[in-house]
Amino acid sequence: MSKLLDINDLKVYFNTEEGVVKALAGVNFKIDKGSFHGLIGETGCGKSVTGLSILKLLDNNALIEGGKIIYKDENLLDKTEKQMQRDFRGNEIAMIFQDPGSSLNPVFTIQDQIQESVKMYKKASKQEYRNIVIEELKKVKLPDVEGLLDKYPHQLSGGMKQRVMIAMMLACNPNLLIADEPTTALDVSIQAQFLQVLKNLKEKFDMTVLYITHDLAVVSEICDYVSVMYAGRIVENVPVRELFKNPIHPYSYKLVHSVLGVKTLLENLEEIPGSVPRLIDPPSGCRFHPRCEEATDICKTKVPQLKKIGKNHYVACHRR
Amino acid sequence: MSNRKKYWTNKIIRTIITAIGVTLIAFLILHLTPGDPARIMLGSYASEENLEAVREKYNLNEPLYIQYWAWISSLAKGDLGTSIRYNRSVNTLIKDRIGPTLVLTLTGLIISVVLGVVMGILAALKRNSWLDYLTTVQAIFWISIPSFWLGILFLYIFGLQLRWVPIAGMVSYTSVILPALSLGLRQEAWFARPMRAEMLEVLNQEYIRAAKAKGLKYYIVVTKHALRNALIPIITMLALRLPWIIGGSVVIEVVFSWGGIGSLLVNSVKARDYPVVQAILLLISIAVVLANLFADIIYTWVDPRIRTEG
Ligand SMILES: Nc1ncnc2c1ncn2[C@@H]1O[C@H](COP(=O)(O)OP(=O)(O)OP(=O)(O)O)[C@@H](O)[C@H]1O
Ligand code: SF4
Ligand SMILES: [Mg+2]
Repeated sequence: MSKLLDINDLKVYFNTEEGVVKALAGVNFKIDKGSFHGLIGETGCGKSVTGLSILKLLDNNALIEGGKIIYKDENLLDKTEKQMQRDFRGNEIAMIFQDPGSSLNPVFTIQDQIQESVKMYKKASKQEYRNIVIEELKKVKLPDVEGLLDKYPHQLSGGMKQRVMIAMMLACNPNLLIADEPTTALDVSIQAQFLQVLKNLKEKFDMTVLYITHDLAVVSEICDYVSVMYAGRIVENVPVRELFKNPIHPYSYKLVHSVLGVKTLLENLEEIPGSVPRLIDPPSGCRFHPRCEEATDICKTKVPQLKKIGKNHYVACHRR
Repeated sequence: MSNRKKYWTNKIIRTIITAIGVTLIAFLILHLTPGDPARIMLGSYASEENLEAVREKYNLNEPLYIQYWAWISSLAKGDLGTSIRYNRSVNTLIKDRIGPTLVLTLTGLIISVVLGVVMGILAALKRNSWLDYLTTVQAIFWISIPSFWLGILFLYIFGLQLRWVPIAGMVSYTSVILPALSLGLRQEAWFARPMRAEMLEVLNQEYIRAAKAKGLKYYIVVTKHALRNALIPIITMLALRLPWIIGGSVVIEVVFSWGGIGSLLVNSVKARDYPVVQAILLLISIAVVLANLFADIIYTWVDPRIRTEG
C-alpha cells in the first residue's frame, strides 16, 4: 500500500515564560493511503500538536525544530503559509478540532460556515449550495437539518456543535482527515453512529483518516493501525490486531492490559503508577523510564529508536 | 413578555427618562445660576424697564415649574424660543447652521473610524513591526495635543505656509479638510488601539484556526471571520466617543471660523443669549442620547448572540 503521509523525526517546541516546552521530541509514523490510523496516548503527550503540525496551524509560540512531514512526496514543512492555504488545507487535508464549542464562528450561520468549505472546490448556485449543505448535515445524523441552516452556533448544544464542526470539515471533501477526539461531546449512541458514518465515508470517497483519541475501545473498533505516543515520542507503531493481541512496548502493554473490561484510556492511566512528565524538563533517555518497571541504566541515558520487530510493527524500547 | 421585548422596552423607557432629564438640566442652567436671570441676559447696566420686559417675555416672574412647563410646551410644538441677541427664532438660527456642523462632524467621524479601524487591523496583523509601533506613537501624539492647538498648527502649515487649502470659513469643498482632520485625527487615536487589541484577541480564537483549516484565503479569514467579530465592541465605543466628537467640533468650528452650531454656541454663551444656549445644549444632548440608542440597535443587529436571544 502506498504512503499518503510520512512524519519523520518531527520536533516541535513551544516558547513559554517558564521555559521551552519540548512537546514533540521526534515523532515518527507513516499513514497508508486509505487507512484508518489511530494516534493514542495520555493527555498532554502531544497528539493535538502532531495533528496541528500537519496543517501548520500551530500556536504562535511554536517552533518547528526539525523533521519532515511528507505528504504525497512533498515536505509540508518547506511550504509557505500561502502554499499551505492554496494547495493543502481544506480539500487535501482537513482537521476536526478537539474543542467543538469554540471552533465555529459565533457571528455566522451554520449554512454559511459549511458552505464556505464547499465553495473552495465547487462552483454552484445558491440553491445547489443549500442542498449540498443539507446533505453534509444529514451525513452526521443531525435532526431537523433544514431548521438548522439559519441558526447560529450559540443556539446549538455542545453535541450538535461538534457534529456541525465535523460536517464542516467533511464538507471540504479532504483526502486526509485528521479527527482530534471528535466524539468527546457526543453521547454513546450518536458516537457509534458517527463512527459508522466515518467508516462509510472513508470507503466511499477513499478518504484516509488520522484518528486521535483516548479511547481504546474506539481504536479497536475502527482503526487499522495505531501509533502509541508517550510524552512527545512515538513508542510503538503497530497494526491494531497486534496491539491488542501482543503489545510489545511496556507502556502499550500496560495500556492494553488494564483496558480489559474498562472503557477509556483516561481511566486506565490512573492505574499506571507515576504521572505524566512535564515537558519543560522531560526525563532523559527513554521518557517513560521513571514509570517503567523494566528500566535499566541505559534507559536513563539513551533515547531508544523505533526498531522493526515484525511485519509493519515498530517499537522504541531498549529491552525489546 | 419575551426577554427581547423586555430589553427594548427598558431601553426605550430609559432613553425617554434621559431625554426628560436633559431638558431639565438645559432649563435649570439658566435658572440656577446665581442672580437674576434677566440681569444675566441683559448685563449689569440694563435699565429696569428692559429687565421687566425680558422678565415678562420669558415668564421669569412665574414659579419655576410653570416656566419649565411653558418652555417644554413650546418645545413640544417644535418652537425652540427666540434669541435675545438676534431677536430671531432659534429654530431659524439653528436651521441655517446645522448643515455645516453635520458636514464637519460626519467627515470627522468617518476619518476617525476608517483610519482608526484600518490602522488597528494592520497593526494587529503586522504585530511588533514598524507599522505597529507607528500606530501606537501616532495615537499618543494625537491624543496629547489639544484640538484647538492642532487646528491652529494645521492652519499655519497647510493654509498659510503651503497654501494647499483655504485657511478659514466655508469657501470651497476643500475647506472641510483641515477642520475635519483636526477633529478626526484626535478621535482616530481612540479607535486604533482598541481595534488592534480586539483584532489580536479574535485572531487567536479557535474559529479562526478552523476557518484557515478549511483552506479559506487569508483575506477572507481576516475581513470576514476576524473583522466581523472584532468590530462588535468598537460599535459601542463609537457611541461613547460621540459626545467628544461633538464637543471637539465646537472648538474646531471656532478655530476655523466654521459657521456651524458650535460657533453659534460659543458666541451665544459670550453674549449670554440663553435661549440659544439652552436650545443647542438640548439638541446636542438629544443627539447623544439617540446615538446611544442607535448604537444599541446596530450592536444587537451585528451580534447574533444578542439578536436571537429570548
Ligand atoms: N501553545 C502552547 N504553548 C506551550 N505549550 C503548549 C502549547 N500547546 C501545547 N503545549 C504543550 O504541548 C504538550 C502537548 O499538548 P497536546 O495538546 O498536543 O496534548 P494532547 O496529547 O492533545 O492532550 P489531550 O489528550 O489532553 O488533548 C502539552 O504538554 C502542552 O502543555
Ligand atoms: S526503554 Fe527502558 S524505560 Fe523505556 S520502555 Fe523500554 S525498558 Fe522501559
Ligand atoms: Mg489534544
